[in-house]
Amino acid sequence: MEGDVTNVNRKCSAVTGSGRKLKDNAADWHNLMLRWEKLNDEGFTIASNIVNARRSSASVSPLCSGEAEGSSGDLVLGNSALREECEKLEDVVNKMAAIVAKMERLMASQRGLVDLEEFQFGPQGRKVPLFHGWNAKDFVSSCGLLLRSFTSELRLKRVLLREVAHCADRDLSLVYLSCWLHQPLVPARARLALEAVLLETGQRHLPG
Amino acid sequence: MSKSALLTIHQALRRSFHSLENNQKLWKSVLAECIPLMASLENLAEQSRALSNVQISNTPLKDFPEVEELLRFKLSQAMDTVLCKLHENMASLQSLRDSLTNQVSTVVQLYEQNTDTLDLVTVTERSATIPSVVDMLEWLQDAERHYRQQFVRRKTLLHALSSGNLNFLATATKKWKELDTPGAEDQITDTLCKVSFFVESS
Repeated sequence: MEGDVTNVNRKCSAVTGSGRKLKDNAADWHNLMLRWEKLNDEGFTIASNIVNARRSSASVSPLCSGEAEGSSGDLVLGNSALREECEKLEDVVNKMAAIVAKMERLMASQRGLVDLEEFQFGPQGRKVPLFHGWNAKDFVSSCGLLLRSFTSELRLKRVLLREVAHCADRDLSLVYLSCWLHQPLVPARARLALEAVLLETGQRHLPG
Repeated sequence: MSKSALLTIHQALRRSFHSLENNQKLWKSVLAECIPLMASLENLAEQSRALSNVQISNTPLKDFPEVEELLRFKLSQAMDTVLCKLHENMASLQSLRDSLTNQVSTVVQLYEQNTDTLDLVTVTERSATIPSVVDMLEWLQDAERHYRQQFVRRKTLLHALSSGNLNFLATATKKWKELDTPGAEDQITDTLCKVSFFVESS
């Protein structure tokens, strides 16, 4: 980028137009990712309950429908209680799917801004950045990474939802729980990408 | 002359016991912080072992061929984060140990510098509220040795845990707790009790 480097904490007054849209989009991305994390924690608790229930259920009659004590004294979920936990987990996954759908809409809106920029300024995009240095294509590139990560992770979550209550193998159950908790398909790069977007639009400031 | 040397040594002893009291509190709190970290390490090691025991291509996760590597990476990153915090705690313990060691060597040095002016009677004399100089020096040196040994043992264990051996990590909490020496800690509490009147007097 030629020209003077802008002061990274320079306040950009993007109150209208593309700047406003991108700033709002960035805030939306941030909120969606926060909601995703909250759902992930909720889902992990439910999935752990399901796995623990499966482990203890061997010592209790499969015909009981309520809760009972297993041989080790753990609270054991009967069939209907287990089904309830699975439904709760399904609800969590559906909410995560709704988040990914919103992310797709944000991406569509950002791609629209790229088209607009090309129309206004030609294929190179705008010369003077809206914020510090990015043009619309840069936003699409960063947010594209986020969308791809969460779409993949959602696919994985659906498999985990399907399998976690049916798994008798202790190690595999633990792997399912690990996958849910640690979200292997959302790389650390994805969170950095969000931080970069927030920094660019002035919604994060560097210390000092 | 003997009196002023005694006064100086008494002052240095008081500072050392203040330092020891502070040390004991902070040491206990740092050790308490380590317990949940040890549990995290055990947990992460168990997850890593489970992942190694599973053939992903024979499971419903086979549609995600990269998931094994990515999960292993995240688990190892999480372990590194916990080990980092443990190393920070170890640095705190080191700094506490060093501060006590310095304090105690200062007072021992002071004593050695004044052996000409202090006779045996003076240094072994004790009253109901003031223990003898030699007793107090002995208790301080015992305490300092205890913290020095504790630090070395805990640092060695942390070093072993950092090697990443999953079977070793599986009993991290147990191994950490095995290093506790409640007898020695009780002796230090006892010492602080015995010198409490002395420390409070000016």
